[in-house]
Amino acid sequence: MELAALGTAIGQIFTPYTFLMLFVGTSLGIVVGAIPGMTGAMLIALTLPITFYMDPFNAIILLISMYVGAISGGLITATLLRMPGTPAAVMTTFDGYPMARAGKPGRALGLGITASFVGGLVSWVALLTITKPLSIIATRFGPFEYFTLIMMAMVLIASVSEGSLVKGIAAGFFGMLISMPGVDPASGMPRLTFDYYLLNGGLKLLPVLIGVFAVSQIINDAMDMGRVTERISMTSKGILMSLKDLRLQAVNLIRSSVIGTGVGILPGIGASIGSVIAYTVAKNTSKTPEKFGTGSEEGIVASEAANNATVGGALIPLIAMGIPGSVIDAILIGALMIHSIQPGPTLFLTNADIVWGMVAACLLANILMYILMTSSVKYIAGLMYMPRSFVLPVVMVFCVIGSFALNNTMFDVWVMLGFGVIGFLLERAKYPLGPFVIGFVLAPLAEEKLRSGLMMTAGDPSPILTRPLPALFTLAAIALLVWPLYSDWRKKRRAANAAEPEG
Amino acid sequence: MQTRQKYEIAVSGLMILMCFVFLWESWDLPPGTFEPLGSGPVPQATAAIIILCCLITINTARLEAKKSSVAEGTGEPLSIGFAVLMALATLVFVIILHLRIMAFAWMAALFLTVTIWGLENFKKKKFLPAVITGLIVGFAVEYLFTQVFVVDLPV
Repeated sequence: MELAALGTAIGQIFTPYTFLMLFVGTSLGIVVGAIPGMTGAMLIALTLPITFYMDPFNAIILLISMYVGAISGGLITATLLRMPGTPAAVMTTFDGYPMARAGKPGRALGLGITASFVGGLVSWVALLTITKPLSIIATRFGPFEYFTLIMMAMVLIASVSEGSLVKGIAAGFFGMLISMPGVDPASGMPRLTFDYYLLNGGLKLLPVLIGVFAVSQIINDAMDMGRVTERISMTSKGILMSLKDLRLQAVNLIRSSVIGTGVGILPGIGASIGSVIAYTVAKNTSKTPEKFGTGSEEGIVASEAANNATVGGALIPLIAMGIPGSVIDAILIGALMIHSIQPGPTLFLTNADIVWGMVAACLLANILMYILMTSSVKYIAGLMYMPRSFVLPVVMVFCVIGSFALNNTMFDVWVMLGFGVIGFLLERAKYPLGPFVIGFVLAPLAEEKLRSGLMMTAGDPSPILTRPLPALFTLAAIALLVWPLYSDWRKKRRAANAAEPEG
Repeated sequence: MQTRQKYEIAVSGLMILMCFVFLWESWDLPPGTFEPLGSGPVPQATAAIIILCCLITINTARLEAKKSSVAEGTGEPLSIGFAVLMALATLVFVIILHLRIMAFAWMAALFLTVTIWGLENFKKKKFLPAVITGLIVGFAVEYLFTQVFVVDLPV
């Protein structure tokens, strides 16, 4: 049954228009991933307004293929410029760049591309096999299960984000607070609108996303205009990984892909964390750990297999529970909502074609990414040197027009600019943007579930601790909160003990 | 005190201020009639958590600033001027768009010319490429969004 549905979705993608969307999405994703300063989140946020005019199936194919392409494209700048095109490629810079400087850029890219492809395939298998059973389990979730799961996800995101746990929590809850003006989900009355009628409909996700991810990034990039980068001449020699290489890297490839998939499944944790963990495990289990950081093949393979594997992994909680597995998945949730599709466990029943379209696109975009990158990486690499003085203003025009196109109102453009400034300031103060956006997306659902749960129990919140799953999620959230504080305290105590004079 | 800590204190302070504005606005929200919680408690609890986290951040930043003896400005210099140019040009662009006193294509062309040329340090030889890029992108984007996507841009 599942395979038949998947086959139908693949057949649908091979119709000319939909395949064009897949091709354009994957190519644009790779290109944007390869341009320093531009990110997949930025591309997808800017593409959302264009998808209003498409049917949901084609829109989601375009966005998923962009997601796959952008994660993969970051490898090119990480290897040739020591500048990760996307945050997910940070670990690739450690070994990709030294190998490229040693005269083997084709080899470094070839290892990365093949590892990305294998990582994508492994996570796709997980996506295909785990999603439906998980969604069946999730249909049994009551409001308290959902509420505590979202709270646990928020703490999890905050605890692994860049910067401190406290800042991650503050950013997440700040995103939640910002989403609250508008119509109260329970009473239907306006609240927190400051008597301003345009706020009655609340702040829309799209201008907030464009502001936070695109405008703030443009301002940051403009501040970074003076940076000079060393140029490495590109050759395609060694771009295809041999069977011997595959055999040598097999364990590392599979292990890193599984790690990436697992990390992707955890709500809110993106590709960066997946590649860090896989890289660390690869180094710790390597026979030659001293080579890591100097051009190790194992390092490139681990990082790239894991970051691409998070794509399929992160789609699992999105489809099965409506919880984003990463920041880009939060944007995908927004895309589904724009097309009146409610992500969550009932998605398999209400919009099965969309679900299978997402699964099929994940596979086909991965294959297309491999073909495009191995055949044309030399030309794509040239895009890295596109002058940012031309790119940034053009992107800004798209930010303005994209926000305006949502409702043909200037209010959304001002919201976009406002959130551009907020995003810029939060980044400067090292408040992570991931929890902020995920908080913004998940807050309405969390509040709705909490309040409907309390309605069912006449105001009694005790099921949060007495029912097994909510209790488990709550305990996990508490553990995630307490553990970093405890380990920090232990570190300080050890340092203090070491500093004390002997005797 | 380092720049990061100054930003941390300033941004956390701003967040606290925004939370108080939200708290003030939520104060008059009526209690729930058919449900126990009502509209107010969730935003109020959220704002309270943010305030607490921001106070911790401010305190940590102040303590770090006291301990820190690292000199400022060890990283690469940032081009603040470019960021200010970009921000100001965008602001003017949006204001003109809001007032609808100019066709979008011309406005975008002007914005692109000024910003591209400005980000190229106003070098003479970059003026013509900036104008050409501005005109092509400005008119192409207007055509795309008004004719294909039917967006109500000022033309």
